[in-house]
Amino acid sequence: MKIGVFICHCGENIGRTVDCPRVSKAAEWFPGVVHSVDYKYMCSDPGQNMIKDAIREKGLDAIVVGSCSPHMHEKTFRKAALDAGINPFLCEMANLREHVSWVHDDIEEATQKAIDLTRMAVEKVKRNQPLATIKVPVTKRTLVIGGGIAGIQAALDVANAGYEVVLVEKEPSIGGHMSQLSETFPTLDCSQCILTPRMVEVYQHPKIKLMTYSEVEKVEGFIGNFHVTIRQKARHIDASKCTGCGLCITKCPIRKKAFNSFEEGMAYRPAVYVPFPQAVPNIPVIDETVCTYYKNGKCGVCVKVCGREAIMFDQQDKLVTEEIGAIIMATGYKLYDISKKPDDSFIKGYGEYGYGKYKDVIDGLQFERIASASGPTSGEFKRPSDGKEPKKVVFIQCVGSRDDSKGFSYCSKICCMYTAKHAMLYKHKVHDGEAYVFYMDIRSGGKMYEEFVRRAIEEDGVKYVRGRVSKVYEQNGKYIVKGEDTIAGMPVEIEADMVVLATAMIAQENASTLAQTVGIPYDKYGFFNEAHPKLRPIESTTGGIFLAGACQSPKDIPESVAMASAAAAKTMVLFGSDMLEREPVVARVNELLCGGCFYCRKVCPYSAIEVREIKDRNGVVIKEVAYVNDGLCQGCGTCTATCPSKSVELMGFTNEQIFAQIAAL
Amino acid sequence: MDELRNHVKEMLANGTVAAVIGYKEAGSPMRTKPVIITAPEEAILLVFNEYCLNNLAVYLTKARVKNLARVNGTIKKLGIVAKPCDVHAVIALIQESQLKREDVYIISFNCNGVVKDYGETLTGETIASKCLHCDARQPLYHDKVFGELKDLPASPDEELAKIKSFDDMTSQERFEYFKNEFDKCIKCYACRAACPMCYCTQCITDKTIPRWVESSAHGRGNFSWNLIRAFHLSARCVGCGECERACPMDIPLSLINRKMLEVAKNDFAYLSGRNLETPTLVGSFDVKDKEEFIL
Repeated sequence: MKIGVFICHCGENIGRTVDCPRVSKAAEWFPGVVHSVDYKYMCSDPGQNMIKDAIREKGLDAIVVGSCSPHMHEKTFRKAALDAGINPFLCEMANLREHVSWVHDDIEEATQKAIDLTRMAVEKVKRNQPLATIKVPVTKRTLVIGGGIAGIQAALDVANAGYEVVLVEKEPSIGGHMSQLSETFPTLDCSQCILTPRMVEVYQHPKIKLMTYSEVEKVEGFIGNFHVTIRQKARHIDASKCTGCGLCITKCPIRKKAFNSFEEGMAYRPAVYVPFPQAVPNIPVIDETVCTYYKNGKCGVCVKVCGREAIMFDQQDKLVTEEIGAIIMATGYKLYDISKKPDDSFIKGYGEYGYGKYKDVIDGLQFERIASASGPTSGEFKRPSDGKEPKKVVFIQCVGSRDDSKGFSYCSKICCMYTAKHAMLYKHKVHDGEAYVFYMDIRSGGKMYEEFVRRAIEEDGVKYVRGRVSKVYEQNGKYIVKGEDTIAGMPVEIEADMVVLATAMIAQENASTLAQTVGIPYDKYGFFNEAHPKLRPIESTTGGIFLAGACQSPKDIPESVAMASAAAAKTMVLFGSDMLEREPVVARVNELLCGGCFYCRKVCPYSAIEVREIKDRNGVVIKEVAYVNDGLCQGCGTCTATCPSKSVELMGFTNEQIFAQIAAL
Repeated sequence: MDELRNHVKEMLANGTVAAVIGYKEAGSPMRTKPVIITAPEEAILLVFNEYCLNNLAVYLTKARVKNLARVNGTIKKLGIVAKPCDVHAVIALIQESQLKREDVYIISFNCNGVVKDYGETLTGETIASKCLHCDARQPLYHDKVFGELKDLPASPDEELAKIKSFDDMTSQERFEYFKNEFDKCIKCYACRAACPMCYCTQCITDKTIPRWVESSAHGRGNFSWNLIRAFHLSARCVGCGECERACPMDIPLSLINRKMLEVAKNDFAYLSGRNLETPTLVGSFDVKDKEEFIL
């Protein structure tokens, strides 16, 4: 085997600490090396040409490039090898920059280490096998999980590009949290006015299959080839017959048994309901838990009034399987309910400010509903306890956010802005009212955001108090808010009529369970993890699964929409070709030696290991062995470490190669 | 005994099982050896008593035995006479996908203990030490069970006392102890051959490209073999003690395996081969797992 060694100075980066000519000279003496040179920039055009020329002229079989991390330039040098006519996987790199020059000072020792690393790479490359990239077909259909603004945007973008989309929403209607908002910062657009056209567009789009009141139950397969099982919960209404006339809703005798979750518990809804008037689809659902029919088999008023015979009490959940190529996660967030400790969480629970005890201590979303023209008070400011107009409202920011001891360490990001908006909306409607905001810092980064906060303070006269509130308690129908003004350096006490808490934005209910179902990692808070915080913020670490919106971390509407469009673009990149090319660094099982214990299958984080039956000529199974699905395998090597008999190897990093590297040291 | 023979005879005759792995007398009534029978008339050979020392589960994974179950293009059941502790091994093998529950017919006994060695009468002194800490004298899984439970002869568990005494030693002292013990190893791999959980098609020790385990019978090679075996068995070993019984050099292998068993039991509440529903400890992950040992 003829091996060429190419040592790069990386300008001064390597050359300053490593005596590159000496490394190249030393490499000449390594067994198998027939050509060894050093050059200032191997990755430059002339540098690559040196490699190509040497391969052609000296008939090299394999090359070793001693330069930077393979993360930087492995592709470059593999391409050069390919151009010169050798298999790109017969190119190895010795990392002389991140592993040597950048971390050492002593030239003598660094040079010695560089020589050692180069020798190891030479020993490895001798055992490299020519590999071929793996090609897998792509199903050009996208699954979007979550029908909030992020999911809607992603679905529309993908569908408008001409690809089919399945949009799954667990609630009876799409719209998400944005449909609950009154007006949006910093422009004070009516939230529903800008959202509902998009909702309708989704409903009418020929490329979008909308599945509301549905949840993803199982995800199998891999990038380009997912098989997804979706549970369509029983609506007890025949969607093909229902016209959405709403007679059943108006006639339903159950009026005060179930809280309306769209109104954040500040109103009731009947047993048969649509979450809100503009719901998409406008098809009601029957709530089995409160409906009289499910208690004693009586009532049936809805059946009598429905002219279309659309009521189906015996309708069952339905499991639907979809073939999917890419998945966009857009499951959003929920607000931290500080009245109780979050289930199964390391969070201690907040339990302060009388939330859940005093009716007029409410959270941000409840305030949105009060401020909304379609809300329980028709947009008039009335406090929940007695319906009186509050004359003094205290807003408390960072409730549960930025709180290591009782809440979440992170900043929920949107609260500074929506609190300013809340105070502003209040002042716009209650001219003689007073609004106080307790804040830690005002974080208003964003286009027109700081101006918006200044407007609240300067034009609308909202009083900002820098400090924390220690206590809220009731006295003579008022809520005494005790806090501290840290700028004035004195305690403050405000007699408020209503208190609004900007509670933390936290991961959606069961986000971690869904992440496990789908097969993506999540952080300790339950937010989904991106593949790289800077350069791959849209992708999850699992191929073909992308993230959009607040399921990844707290986000406002424009950010969620931008991320959704980015995720849509990512799926289109995936759908741009009919076959998917993958690096062949995947695990391979030696079926002769595999004992079939399937520990590899248990530990594989990508569910890439399958069972293959080895049969005799009569078709009787002799043994079962592990089999690696190339499409799913990400080449992490967990199986190779686990296999007790070392019957599974990682291509490009075989045990033999690694042993040779160690032995060369 | 007649019950066992009649039952096996019937099972073989009516074709429920293709073969039965059991014990037969070997030269003296106080000694047995394994036998595999396929004809109903051979059932008369079978015995079950306190001299049934072998863990017969080791044969279930052998290709020649598995072949017996393949009759005319179908897979039939293999019968096995198993002490309740040997049933653990069968269960562990099922958990590790080596056989299917429906492919094995477990004939077990309510167990009254076995002797340490052939030719001795079962008393408090001669009882095998694994029987002293036995937690399952009745089989956890079986298709047929015989025998009645009697009181075990009482005796102190010296093995456990020895393991406990290791906790008081310094690591250097422990190292010296095992160094001396492993020095005796002749690399005959009898421990591997007797172990029901050592079913790999090719043992990592026999791998030569690359060579993972030093194969020569000197200190370093002995250490690497015995420690790798201990690691490969941790949380998998069912504690049958066959390795120690098979060892011609009397290396106290049970001490290591039993210590590993105690760790799995105390730290993860896991015992190998006890429950078909529980996932194996190695290869399963629970967020509540202790992790103070992770550096």
